[in-house]
Amino acid sequence: MMRDNRIRRLPMALSALVALALAVLPLPTVLEALRPDFLVLVVFYWSIESPRAGGLTLAFMAGLALDIIQGVVLGQHALALTLLAGWATHLRLRLRVFSILSQILTIFALLTGYQFVLFWVDGATGNPVTTFGRWLAPVIGALLWPVVVGVLSRLHER
Amino acid sequence: MVAFRSTETSGRTTGLLLRCVLYSLLALALIIVDKRYDHLGKIRRVLSIVAYPVQIAVASPFEGWDWFRESVTTRDALRADKAKLEGQLRLAQFRLQRFEALEAESQRLRALRDSTAGVTDRFVIGNVMDVDLDAFRERVLIDKGAQDGVFVGQAVLDAGGVFGQVARVGQLTAEVILVSDATHAIPVQINRNGLRTIAVGTGDMGRLKLPYLPTSADVIAGDLLVTSGLGGGFPAGYPVGTVADVKRDPAQSLADVDVKPAAALDRSRELMFVWLKPQPVAPASLTTPAKTPSPPGSPTTSTHGGPLQAPGPAQARSARETAKPATTTTPAGANDQ
Repeated sequence: MMRDNRIRRLPMALSALVALALAVLPLPTVLEALRPDFLVLVVFYWSIESPRAGGLTLAFMAGLALDIIQGVVLGQHALALTLLAGWATHLRLRLRVFSILSQILTIFALLTGYQFVLFWVDGATGNPVTTFGRWLAPVIGALLWPVVVGVLSRLHER
Repeated sequence: MVAFRSTETSGRTTGLLLRCVLYSLLALALIIVDKRYDHLGKIRRVLSIVAYPVQIAVASPFEGWDWFRESVTTRDALRADKAKLEGQLRLAQFRLQRFEALEAESQRLRALRDSTAGVTDRFVIGNVMDVDLDAFRERVLIDKGAQDGVFVGQAVLDAGGVFGQVARVGQLTAEVILVSDATHAIPVQINRNGLRTIAVGTGDMGRLKLPYLPTSADVIAGDLLVTSGLGGGFPAGYPVGTVADVKRDPAQSLADVDVKPAAALDRSRELMFVWLKPQPVAPASLTTPAKTPSPPGSPTTSTHGGPLQAPGPAQARSARETAKPATTTTPAGANDQ
């Protein structure tokens, strides 16, 4: 069991780092608003795939890293990611047997929930972002879900 | 393709709910502490060092590409560049000819009034890092931080004018909030007549607003806005933008004024961090109407801003004359003392 966990944690941390880099990769302004939350997808994947290897800890740490790197209120992304990763973990057995379409829809719901928590914290801390653009990211993210799963499961296999 | 290879077939994760609640509470506590109190500044500054490698890793390929493109430019391109830059330098030198004399004059006049408010002391150049922070907030990351003396609220300029101010400082990096951010406001003055107001960002990099001008205000398209230096955050007399459009709806009490920012908010790579000269505690600051010393500031502002924008001495003089009525109010204020 110990050995099992150790093997799993390396691809976990690696994929999270890559996703974190993707989150701040400079994009043209037009595409910027469409940037999917890669890190959230990666965290969801690991919470569904191997929750015992520390999905929630990963979620919290990844959220904290996002807070620091994006310079928002400390704890904002951490809160959103923890809550939604917890939910994803709760749903994982069902998610694994879902068809691709159902998976995409579920992930869309989770990503929207994630954006909603961010939106709420933004508003509660006094700098609301009310543009419509932020609700586009969940759509793109959900559509990217099969790709993320494909890449990560291959990484996982090694 | 979409298949989970998990070996964990048993669906039990012990204490999922408990851990989820614990982490969420921790995150909530962080949010509250970070928002309410300023204790996390140091922690954040240290943590930003951890984020630095990721930021460097993201930015360096783009910087490398820039470097590569620069190093393979042809001789012809370099010569064309050189000719262009020489032309610009010549122009800038023409414009600067009277600047030193005018600055000295301005200093003398300010010394007479015991006020050096808004005089710049020194600059440090910082580079914008190729990192996207947040799609919905106008912010950039700069490769200068607390160890270079950068502080929160510091004014940041680019070659065109006022760029923004420092919003957050890390040990090695700093976040600059652009003047066009929807939560940013900057005290400005119309260079032509000294009218003071506040320019507010819109969230659109090409546009600022002047939301607090009455419909009767003397503002026309093409007016240059400069910093007024009020509030002490920004040095006085630097261009903020030009008025692009004025809409006056007789039914409204406030005019709808669009401003085009002077700084190249979406293109600038080199930014200047400004340190203001420490303000001596002048006796004038003891009087309650803190704004009384400001109207005489307008003539000096226009001379100061004049050479930078080169409206010519004649225009600067006319600006001084138009500002005179405002100046005459000061003796009344002085009598109050």
